[in-house]
Amino acid sequence: MKNYFVLAAAVLLFSFSATAQKYFTKTGKISFDATTSSSPEKIEGVNKTSTCVLDTKSGAIQFAVLMKGFLFERALMEEHFNENYVESNKFPKAEFKGAISNNDAVNYSKDGTYAVTVKGKLTMHGVTKDVETPGKLVVQGGKIQATATFNALLADYSVSIPGLVADKVAKTAKIGVDCSLELLK
Amino acid sequence: MKRKKIIIWTVLILLLAGAAGGYYAYSEYNRKHKDTADLKPDFTASATSLLEEYQKDEKSANTRYLGKVLKVDGLVKELIKDDKGLYTIVLGDTASMSSVRLIMDSIHNEQAAGLVKGTAAVVKGICTGYNAVEMLGSDLMLNRAVLDKK
Repeated sequence: MKNYFVLAAAVLLFSFSATAQKYFTKTGKISFDATTSSSPEKIEGVNKTSTCVLDTKSGAIQFAVLMKGFLFERALMEEHFNENYVESNKFPKAEFKGAISNNDAVNYSKDGTYAVTVKGKLTMHGVTKDVETPGKLVVQGGKIQATATFNALLADYSVSIPGLVADKVAKTAKIGVDCSLELLK
Repeated sequence: MKRKKIIIWTVLILLLAGAAGGYYAYSEYNRKHKDTADLKPDFTASATSLLEEYQKDEKSANTRYLGKVLKVDGLVKELIKDDKGLYTIVLGDTASMSSVRLIMDSIHNEQAAGLVKGTAAVVKGICTGYNAVEMLGSDLMLNRAVLDKK
Protein backbone atom coordinates (compact mmCIF):
# COMPACT_ATOMS: atom_id res chain seq x y z
CA MET A 1 0.00 0.00 0.00
CA LYS A 2 2.80 2.34 0.97
CA ASN A 3 4.48 1.65 -2.34
CA TYR A 4 1.40 2.78 -4.16
CA PHE A 5 1.62 6.11 -2.42
CA VAL A 6 5.21 6.50 -3.43
CA LEU A 7 4.30 5.54 -6.96
CA ALA A 8 1.35 7.93 -6.99
CA ALA A 9 3.53 10.70 -5.61
CA ALA A 10 6.16 9.98 -8.23
CA VAL A 11 3.60 10.00 -11.02
CA LEU A 12 2.12 13.21 -9.69
CA LEU A 13 5.53 14.83 -9.47
CA PHE A 14 6.42 13.66 -12.93
CA SER A 15 3.23 14.98 -14.43
CA PHE A 16 3.85 18.30 -12.71
CA SER A 17 7.26 18.59 -14.27
CA ALA A 18 5.73 17.57 -17.57
CA THR A 19 3.16 20.35 -17.38
CA ALA A 20 5.74 22.94 -16.42
CA GLN A 21 6.58 23.35 -20.05
CA LYS A 22 7.09 27.05 -20.39
CA TYR A 23 10.52 28.47 -20.99
CA PHE A 24 11.35 32.16 -20.88
CA THR A 25 13.94 34.89 -20.80
CA LYS A 26 13.94 38.59 -20.08
CA THR A 27 17.42 39.15 -21.37
CA GLY A 28 17.04 37.95 -24.94
CA LYS A 29 19.23 39.48 -27.60
CA ILE A 30 17.67 40.92 -30.73
CA SER A 31 19.77 42.73 -33.29
CA PHE A 32 18.74 45.01 -36.09
CA ASP A 33 21.10 45.34 -39.02
CA ALA A 34 20.39 47.65 -41.95
CA THR A 35 23.90 47.69 -43.35
CA THR A 36 24.13 47.54 -47.11
CA SER A 37 27.14 47.29 -49.43
CA SER A 38 27.10 51.06 -49.97
CA SER A 39 26.81 51.92 -46.26
CA PRO A 40 29.84 53.84 -45.03
CA GLU A 41 29.78 51.84 -41.81
CA LYS A 42 27.83 49.26 -39.88
CA ILE A 43 24.23 50.26 -39.18
CA GLU A 44 23.46 47.95 -36.34
CA GLY A 45 21.55 48.14 -33.11
CA VAL A 46 21.39 45.52 -30.39
CA ASN A 47 18.71 45.05 -27.78
CA LYS A 48 19.54 42.83 -24.82
CA THR A 49 16.28 43.17 -22.95
CA SER A 50 13.89 41.25 -25.13
CA THR A 51 11.33 39.03 -23.52
CA CYS A 52 10.62 35.62 -24.96
CA VAL A 53 8.24 32.87 -23.87
CA LEU A 54 8.17 29.43 -25.41
CA ASP A 55 5.53 26.84 -24.67
CA THR A 56 7.24 23.57 -25.47
CA LYS A 57 3.98 21.62 -25.45
CA SER A 58 2.19 23.63 -28.10
CA GLY A 59 5.19 25.21 -29.74
CA ALA A 60 3.74 28.67 -29.22
CA ILE A 61 6.45 31.30 -29.06
CA GLN A 62 6.34 35.02 -28.49
CA PHE A 63 8.76 37.90 -28.29
CA ALA A 64 8.40 41.44 -27.05
CA VAL A 65 11.02 44.10 -27.49
CA LEU A 66 11.20 47.78 -26.58
CA MET A 67 12.35 49.89 -29.50
CA LYS A 68 14.19 52.39 -27.33
CA GLY A 69 16.22 49.52 -25.94
CA PHE A 70 18.20 49.17 -29.17
CA LEU A 71 21.70 50.45 -28.58
CA PHE A 72 23.71 51.87 -31.48
CA GLU A 73 27.33 52.80 -31.34
CA ARG A 74 26.73 56.29 -32.68
CA ALA A 75 24.42 58.58 -30.73
CA LEU A 76 23.18 60.18 -33.95
CA MET A 77 22.30 56.83 -35.47
CA GLU A 78 20.35 55.83 -32.38
CA GLU A 79 18.42 59.10 -32.46
CA HIS A 80 17.58 58.71 -36.13
CA PHE A 81 16.48 55.14 -35.54
CA ASN A 82 14.15 56.18 -32.73
CA GLU A 83 12.90 59.51 -34.00
CA ASN A 84 12.75 59.19 -37.77
CA TYR A 85 12.54 55.52 -38.63
CA VAL A 86 10.66 53.47 -36.05
CA GLU A 87 9.14 56.43 -34.18
CA SER A 88 9.60 54.73 -30.84
CA ASN A 89 7.68 57.37 -28.93
CA LYS A 90 4.58 56.52 -30.89
CA PHE A 91 5.28 52.79 -31.19
CA PRO A 92 7.40 51.85 -28.19
CA LYS A 93 7.13 48.11 -28.67
CA ALA A 94 7.63 45.46 -31.32
CA GLU A 95 6.05 42.06 -30.88
CA PHE A 96 6.15 38.66 -32.45
CA LYS A 97 3.49 36.06 -31.79
CA GLY A 98 3.69 32.71 -33.48
CA ALA A 99 4.46 29.05 -33.23
CA ILE A 100 7.03 26.45 -34.16
CA SER A 101 5.38 24.61 -37.06
CA ASN A 102 7.40 21.44 -36.61
CA ASN A 103 7.24 21.35 -32.82
CA ASP A 104 6.77 17.57 -32.82
CA ALA A 105 10.23 17.17 -34.29
CA VAL A 106 11.81 18.68 -31.18
CA ASN A 107 12.51 16.45 -28.22
CA TYR A 108 12.75 18.95 -25.36
CA SER A 109 13.81 16.32 -22.87
CA LYS A 110 16.83 15.28 -24.90
CA ASP A 111 19.91 17.42 -25.41
CA GLY A 112 20.54 18.24 -29.02
CA THR A 113 20.26 20.73 -31.84
CA TYR A 114 16.97 20.97 -33.65
CA ALA A 115 16.15 22.86 -36.85
CA VAL A 116 12.76 24.51 -36.59
CA THR A 117 10.44 26.66 -38.65
CA VAL A 118 8.77 29.54 -36.90
CA LYS A 119 5.65 31.09 -38.31
CA GLY A 120 3.74 34.03 -36.91
CA LYS A 121 2.93 37.70 -36.90
CA LEU A 122 5.42 40.47 -36.35
CA THR A 123 4.15 43.86 -35.24
CA MET A 124 6.55 46.76 -35.62
CA HIS A 125 5.98 50.47 -36.18
CA GLY A 126 2.26 49.81 -35.79
CA VAL A 127 2.08 47.39 -38.72
CA THR A 128 1.48 43.64 -38.43
CA LYS A 129 2.86 41.24 -41.04
CA ASP A 130 3.20 37.50 -41.44
CA VAL A 131 6.70 36.19 -40.93
CA GLU A 132 8.12 32.74 -41.51
CA THR A 133 11.70 31.88 -40.76
CA PRO A 134 13.97 28.94 -40.11
CA GLY A 135 15.53 28.86 -36.67
CA LYS A 136 17.54 26.68 -34.38
CA LEU A 137 16.85 25.32 -30.93
CA VAL A 138 19.67 23.92 -28.87
CA VAL A 139 18.45 21.94 -25.88
CA GLN A 140 21.17 21.51 -23.29
CA GLY A 141 21.05 20.79 -19.61
CA GLY A 142 17.49 22.01 -19.12
CA LYS A 143 18.04 25.24 -21.03
CA ILE A 144 17.05 26.12 -24.54
CA GLN A 145 19.08 28.36 -26.80
CA ALA A 146 16.85 29.79 -29.52
CA THR A 147 18.41 31.51 -32.51
CA ALA A 148 17.05 32.78 -35.81
CA THR A 149 17.81 35.34 -38.47
CA PHE A 150 15.27 36.75 -40.85
CA ASN A 151 14.75 39.71 -43.11
CA ALA A 152 12.12 42.38 -42.75
CA LEU A 153 11.36 44.69 -45.65
CA LEU A 154 11.27 48.10 -44.00
CA ALA A 155 8.66 49.41 -46.46
CA ASP A 156 6.33 46.61 -45.30
CA TYR A 157 6.30 48.20 -41.88
CA SER A 158 5.93 51.69 -43.37
CA VAL A 159 9.38 52.69 -42.21
CA SER A 160 10.50 55.24 -44.76
CA ILE A 161 14.12 56.12 -45.36
CA PRO A 162 14.74 59.74 -46.42
CA GLY A 163 16.00 60.12 -50.00
CA LEU A 164 19.29 61.63 -48.89
CA VAL A 165 20.44 58.40 -47.24
CA ALA A 166 18.25 55.95 -49.15
CA ASP A 167 21.18 54.23 -50.84
CA LYS A 168 23.17 54.03 -47.60
CA VAL A 169 20.55 52.16 -45.60
CA ALA A 170 19.41 48.67 -46.58
CA LYS A 171 15.81 48.32 -47.71
CA THR A 172 15.51 45.10 -45.76
CA ALA A 173 16.72 44.87 -42.22
CA LYS A 174 18.32 41.71 -40.98
CA ILE A 175 16.81 40.78 -37.63
CA GLY A 176 18.80 38.43 -35.45
CA VAL A 177 17.35 36.61 -32.46
CA ASP A 178 19.44 34.96 -29.78
CA CYS A 179 17.69 33.91 -26.57
CA SER A 180 18.74 31.62 -23.79
CA LEU A 181 15.52 30.30 -22.28
CA GLU A 182 15.06 28.94 -18.79
CA LEU A 183 12.27 26.89 -17.33
CA LEU A 184 9.50 29.01 -15.87
CA LYS A 185 8.87 27.85 -12.33
CA MET B 1 37.13 97.82 -57.66
CA LYS B 2 34.11 97.90 -55.40
CA ARG B 3 32.65 94.91 -57.16
CA LYS B 4 35.81 92.90 -56.70
CA LYS B 5 35.70 93.56 -52.98
CA ILE B 6 32.15 92.33 -52.75
CA ILE B 7 33.01 89.14 -54.62
CA ILE B 8 35.99 88.44 -52.38
CA TRP B 9 33.93 88.97 -49.24
CA THR B 10 31.09 86.78 -50.52
CA VAL B 11 33.51 83.97 -51.34
CA LEU B 12 35.14 84.31 -47.93
CA ILE B 13 31.83 84.21 -46.09
CA LEU B 14 30.66 81.23 -48.11
CA LEU B 15 33.89 79.37 -47.35
CA LEU B 16 33.54 80.11 -43.67
CA ALA B 17 29.91 78.99 -43.61
CA GLY B 18 30.88 75.83 -45.49
CA ALA B 19 33.66 75.07 -43.03
CA ALA B 20 31.36 75.67 -40.07
CA GLY B 21 28.69 73.46 -41.63
CA GLY B 22 31.23 70.76 -42.34
CA TYR B 23 32.58 70.91 -38.83
CA TYR B 24 29.06 70.72 -37.41
CA ALA B 25 28.17 67.71 -39.58
CA TYR B 26 31.42 66.01 -38.64
CA SER B 27 31.03 66.53 -34.91
CA GLU B 28 27.34 65.54 -35.02
CA TYR B 29 28.24 62.37 -36.87
CA ASN B 30 30.89 61.44 -34.34
CA ARG B 31 28.93 62.56 -31.32
CA LYS B 32 29.16 60.15 -28.42
CA HIS B 33 26.32 59.07 -26.21
CA LYS B 34 25.97 61.34 -23.22
CA ASP B 35 27.30 59.89 -20.00
CA THR B 36 24.29 59.26 -17.77
CA ALA B 37 26.43 60.13 -14.75
CA ASP B 38 26.54 63.73 -16.00
CA LEU B 39 22.81 63.94 -16.68
CA LYS B 40 20.39 65.51 -14.22
CA PRO B 41 17.42 63.26 -13.51
CA ASP B 42 14.13 64.45 -15.01
CA PHE B 43 12.23 62.44 -12.41
CA THR B 44 13.08 60.83 -9.09
CA ALA B 45 10.85 58.01 -7.88
CA SER B 46 10.80 54.67 -6.11
CA ALA B 47 10.72 51.48 -8.16
CA THR B 48 7.38 50.43 -6.71
CA SER B 49 5.65 53.75 -7.37
CA LEU B 50 6.88 53.79 -10.97
CA LEU B 51 5.56 50.28 -11.52
CA GLU B 52 2.24 51.25 -9.97
CA GLU B 53 1.97 54.19 -12.30
CA TYR B 54 2.70 52.01 -15.30
CA GLN B 55 0.24 49.35 -14.19
CA LYS B 56 -2.49 51.94 -13.97
CA ASP B 57 -1.94 53.60 -17.31
CA GLU B 58 0.97 52.62 -19.51
CA LYS B 59 0.26 55.21 -22.17
CA SER B 60 0.23 58.26 -19.95
CA ALA B 61 3.22 56.96 -18.00
CA ASN B 62 5.08 56.54 -21.27
CA THR B 63 4.39 60.11 -22.37
CA ARG B 64 5.85 61.20 -19.06
CA TYR B 65 8.85 58.95 -18.77
CA LEU B 66 9.87 57.47 -22.13
CA GLY B 67 13.37 58.54 -23.08
CA LYS B 68 13.75 60.55 -19.88
CA VAL B 69 16.43 60.25 -17.21
CA LEU B 70 14.97 58.58 -14.13
CA LYS B 71 16.55 58.26 -10.71
CA VAL B 72 15.07 55.14 -9.19
CA ASP B 73 15.45 53.86 -5.67
CA GLY B 74 14.49 50.42 -4.51
CA LEU B 75 15.66 47.11 -3.13
CA VAL B 76 17.99 45.00 -5.22
CA LYS B 77 16.01 41.92 -6.14
CA GLU B 78 18.55 40.41 -8.40
CA LEU B 79 21.85 41.21 -10.06
CA ILE B 80 22.28 39.60 -13.45
CA LYS B 81 25.55 39.35 -15.35
CA ASP B 82 25.30 38.57 -19.05
CA ASP B 83 27.76 36.61 -21.19
CA LYS B 84 29.79 39.76 -21.85
CA GLY B 85 29.91 40.68 -18.16
CA LEU B 86 27.38 43.50 -18.37
CA TYR B 87 25.22 43.86 -15.28
CA THR B 88 21.46 44.31 -15.08
CA ILE B 89 20.17 45.58 -11.77
CA VAL B 90 16.67 44.40 -10.92
CA LEU B 91 14.88 46.61 -8.42
CA GLY B 92 11.53 45.99 -6.80
CA ASP B 93 9.45 44.10 -4.34
CA THR B 94 10.49 40.45 -4.07
CA ALA B 95 6.87 39.45 -3.49
CA SER B 96 5.89 40.81 -6.88
CA MET B 97 6.78 39.44 -10.32
CA SER B 98 7.19 42.96 -11.64
CA SER B 99 10.37 44.95 -11.39
CA VAL B 100 12.42 47.82 -12.70
CA ARG B 101 15.32 46.46 -14.71
CA LEU B 102 18.31 48.70 -15.28
CA ILE B 103 21.07 47.74 -17.67
CA MET B 104 24.35 49.29 -16.71
CA ASP B 105 26.20 51.64 -18.99
CA SER B 106 29.24 49.68 -20.13
CA ILE B 107 31.67 52.39 -19.00
CA HIS B 108 30.21 52.35 -15.48
CA ASN B 109 29.52 48.63 -15.38
CA GLU B 110 31.87 47.81 -12.51
CA GLN B 111 29.89 50.03 -10.12
CA ALA B 112 27.21 47.36 -10.00
CA ALA B 113 29.60 44.56 -9.03
CA GLY B 114 29.43 45.44 -5.35
CA LEU B 115 25.65 45.50 -5.05
CA VAL B 116 24.14 43.05 -2.62
CA LYS B 117 20.76 41.40 -2.98
CA GLY B 118 18.19 42.74 -0.55
CA THR B 119 19.94 46.07 0.03
CA ALA B 120 18.75 49.44 -1.17
CA ALA B 121 20.20 51.11 -4.21
CA VAL B 122 19.68 54.35 -6.11
CA VAL B 123 20.24 54.00 -9.84
CA LYS B 124 19.96 56.51 -12.64
CA GLY B 125 19.08 55.45 -16.17
CA ILE B 126 17.19 56.30 -19.33
CA CYS B 127 13.68 54.92 -19.56
CA THR B 128 13.14 52.70 -22.60
CA GLY B 129 9.64 51.48 -21.82
CA TYR B 130 7.42 48.95 -20.16
CA ASN B 131 7.15 45.32 -21.08
CA ALA B 132 4.15 43.40 -19.82
CA VAL B 133 4.05 39.71 -20.61
CA GLU B 134 1.54 37.26 -19.21
CA MET B 135 2.88 35.09 -16.39
CA LEU B 136 6.25 36.80 -16.36
CA GLY B 137 5.21 39.96 -14.60
CA SER B 138 5.73 43.41 -15.99
CA ASP B 139 9.00 45.22 -16.23
CA LEU B 140 10.02 48.79 -16.60
CA MET B 141 13.30 48.96 -18.49
CA LEU B 142 16.08 51.50 -18.23
CA ASN B 143 19.25 51.76 -20.24
CA ARG B 144 22.74 53.18 -19.74
CA ALA B 145 22.35 53.03 -15.99
CA VAL B 146 24.79 54.35 -13.41
CA LEU B 147 24.70 54.17 -9.64
CA ASP B 148 23.84 57.44 -8.01
CA LYS B 149 26.70 58.32 -5.72
CA LYS B 150 24.83 60.72 -3.50
